[in-house]
Amino acid sequence: MTVLRRNPSLAWRDEPGARERILAALERSEDVADEGWVILVHAGRMHQLNLLAGEIWLLADGTRDAAAIAAELAGRYDAPADEIRKDVEAFVAECLSRGWLVAEDA
Amino acid sequence: MELTAPLTVNWTLSYTCNFSCRHCYSRGQARPELPLERVLGLVEELARCRVLFVNFGGGEPLCYPHLWEVARAAADRGLRVSMNTNGWLLDAEAARRARAAGFASVGVSLDGATAEVHDAFRARPGSFDRALAALEHLRDAGVASTVSAVIHRNNVGSYRRIVELAAERGAATVYLHNFKCAGRGAENRTELDLSPGEWRAFYGDALAWRPRAPAELAFDDPILALLGGADPGAVKGSTCGKLSLHLEPDGEVTPCGFIPVSAGNLIDQPLDVLWSTSPVLRKMREKTPEGKCRSCGVYGECLGGCTARAFAATGSFNAPDPHCWAGNGRPQGGPS
Ligand code: SF4
Repeated sequence: MTVLRRNPSLAWRDEPGARERILAALERSEDVADEGWVILVHAGRMHQLNLLAGEIWLLADGTRDAAAIAAELAGRYDAPADEIRKDVEAFVAECLSRGWLVAEDA
Repeated sequence: MELTAPLTVNWTLSYTCNFSCRHCYSRGQARPELPLERVLGLVEELARCRVLFVNFGGGEPLCYPHLWEVARAAADRGLRVSMNTNGWLLDAEAARRARAAGFASVGVSLDGATAEVHDAFRARPGSFDRALAALEHLRDAGVASTVSAVIHRNNVGSYRRIVELAAERGAATVYLHNFKCAGRGAENRTELDLSPGEWRAFYGDALAWRPRAPAELAFDDPILALLGGADPGAVKGSTCGKLSLHLEPDGEVTPCGFIPVSAGNLIDQPLDVLWSTSPVLRKMREKTPEGKCRSCGVYGECLGGCTARAFAATGSFNAPDPHCWAGNGRPQGGPS
């Protein structure tokens, strides 16, 4: 199995309380697509990850592949599994091309 | 998103320095230094608040007797540790110690492309050769290096050579710093600072050269918004008090090293509380345009430029950056 791991050279953190605030806004049906809760700094630039991207980031701990991450999130969120899988695959592909995530054989 | 704590802490462990540079913001400043155990307590506080980067400046960090111990403690707690040094004391042994202490990178100041210019600016004969040697020691010890160059009247014509010298010695990034006009920089401003038009010409040239430069060129000047040179998605205006702050030897906090206004003290207050409640930091984040900024079409991008320079020149955070060329004989309303 090829698992996904965060590039250890990237500095990052999840902002305390931010995820809970986004989830509360989601409950109120607000648009949270641009609300960040995980911050990462790569090549001197700061990036904010939104709810789903941040979840994927935290789950990419070297124990799961993209399918396992999608399955975990499908269980966590009330959204069609197929849609989540597509979102996970797209974000993972972007992270791999930017060097934010690395794929390794487990 | 407003952060719960800074991403970067620029930490002056001591104002002691072996140099007396002509642009220095801190020379002449003195602060009592905390005992080592309190300093290590502050490292814990930074780690608790999940600060990502700590950069030791000063003063000269290599004059501080406990540098390696403090750096090691910070690296062990997961912080990315760096410092800015004039390089004089950075010999082969110091480079090895930097590696052992967990430094992610070390920045060396290079303010001229020749010994004549650099040594005059740094007021220390031999400092150019020692700075270049420091870069070589870092490379040999396997420590990543960067170069910091303060752009001034005597090096602006040869800044590309500074970048080449840095790249030849393995520095991946060269920070081309704007001239801050604080401390000694204010005293020597007439002689060393560029005019707004000259800043415009310099940045235009550097941005055009950037894709071909032998090292990554990095800028810290919000006025670049006028040329459309700001990184997309980057924080607008000065990042001080928004992404970073400055910690002094006695635990006092200021928005940045160039703004000598206290935002509180970490001996009295947790970092995250200070960060979210300090009225001084709030003023840094919520500026109100003054003067020509009021009618400027790019205020939303530039936020008045460098707050430190505006404060040094006028005493107001909100005044227009004295380096700004917008409206100087040209109509405002867009990047000019
Ligand atoms: S006038 Fe003010 S807002 Fe406009 S570019 Fe100059 S400093 Fe920035």
